[in-house]
Amino acid sequence: MHEFLNDQIDVIASFCQNRVIPKRIRWNERDYDISNVNLVHTAREGQKRIFYFSVSDNTNYFKLKLDPEYLEWHLVELYN
Amino acid sequence: MSRIIIHIDMNSYFASVEQQANPFLRGKPIGITGKHQERSVIATASIEAKKLGVKTAMSTWEAKRICPSMILYPGDPEKYSYITCQFNSIFNEYTDCVEQFSIDECFLDVSKTATDYLEAIVLAQIIRERIKETCGEQITCSIGIAPNKLMAKLCSEQVKPNGITTVNQQNILKFLDTCKLKDLCGIGTKIENRLNALGINTFEQLRKFSLEKLVNEFKSYGYWLYEAAHGRDDSPVINTYEEPKSIGHSYTLSENTDNKKEMKYCLLGLSDRVAGRLRKECLVARCVHVVVRYADFNEMTQQQKFTEPTSNGLTLFKIAWQMIDQWLDESKPVRLLGISATTLSRGNEHQSLFKKERKVHSLQKTLDEIQNRYGSNAWTRASLIDVHFKERSSGFHSPNSPSTM
Repeated sequence: MHEFLNDQIDVIASFCQNRVIPKRIRWNERDYDISNVNLVHTAREGQKRIFYFSVSDNTNYFKLKLDPEYLEWHLVELYN
Repeated sequence: MSRIIIHIDMNSYFASVEQQANPFLRGKPIGITGKHQERSVIATASIEAKKLGVKTAMSTWEAKRICPSMILYPGDPEKYSYITCQFNSIFNEYTDCVEQFSIDECFLDVSKTATDYLEAIVLAQIIRERIKETCGEQITCSIGIAPNKLMAKLCSEQVKPNGITTVNQQNILKFLDTCKLKDLCGIGTKIENRLNALGINTFEQLRKFSLEKLVNEFKSYGYWLYEAAHGRDDSPVINTYEEPKSIGHSYTLSENTDNKKEMKYCLLGLSDRVAGRLRKECLVARCVHVVVRYADFNEMTQQQKFTEPTSNGLTLFKIAWQMIDQWLDESKPVRLLGISATTLSRGNEHQSLFKKERKVHSLQKTLDEIQNRYGSNAWTRASLIDVHFKERSSGFHSPNSPSTM
């Protein structure tokens, strides 16, 4: 199932060698441990640069959106 | 001096990027589609889907008929543009002569970097590894190495996915004779049919055919065909920015419609987008081209030139709608609308003598600044509040430089 969402989420991430690596997300009162960061890309919204993380655990694919201006994380896609 | 040209063609590009992003799509037949999957075409089929007979530009219903298990997946153009920027920056590390041929294809002139074909092959392998490391292991490419662009492109088509094919000057004719006419970039179905009608079915026959007769049949294209049949192409790898010749948008409606009001709103929204891009590029247009595709897939196109150059969305819309309104067949529902601005030149719109128009012009400047700061969805016309365009799945977005994040 492929869903498009825009849900604000909590994320535990590590900052390592100029990279941000999401480690765990909390969505719908449930924790998901990220096992792989498969792809990272950016996009522009006006002058703002938004970061997208395509990550997965053993059963789900998540696309996470990070707004670096407000340090807000959103879950924007789910595939399982 | 003989050149060494590398052509790099990403394999099933959009599908590979999605398979890189989402591991649950790997090894499965997937098709990247547009915004309305049921009314869309396959922009890219994955390698697995291609093996089952699915082809690019096939309608989704036909693709599903051929391969019922195929997963239709909506495209994400921003993601593809970002990855394109990433591999382009890799290419630029190895030569300053890189020509982006499309979102997933590039020509590299490596004549200065590689002294012979062996070095060029090593370079191609290094580039392929760098792409894998930077973009991900699912994103693969086929590489062709030859003395010119035409042959390099033909070479890259030979081994897919992930192949490297080389042909040097001495082997060009032998190599060409193993290919079909239509394999060559520049020979499509129509040209092939016309060549067949002249009794030409192979490159060998094309080489032996009289140049004079070819020019009689194809005009100046006959010279190109004759040179191509000998594997000759002296076009340079161009790494300079070329001015756009036209800027346009088209949109497949979510449902076929005969409602003129709906069509007008859609066209106005498209005109605003075209005008916004014109202003961003500091261009003005002197010609508008419109296209209407009916539900039966018949298309009507028309263009109109005008003397006063413009980059105003409302002006473009008025010209476009006037044309459509004249010849629209109201008995047939419409599936797609498109508008493009052509005959472009650098500059801004002339200041009007009329106060009201001057006000609109200065307001437009402010609105553009708002969009530049907050994005293209920052404002819309009140009349277009209910018009929502779903994003397309292909095409190239304004590049944003890759980061290390």
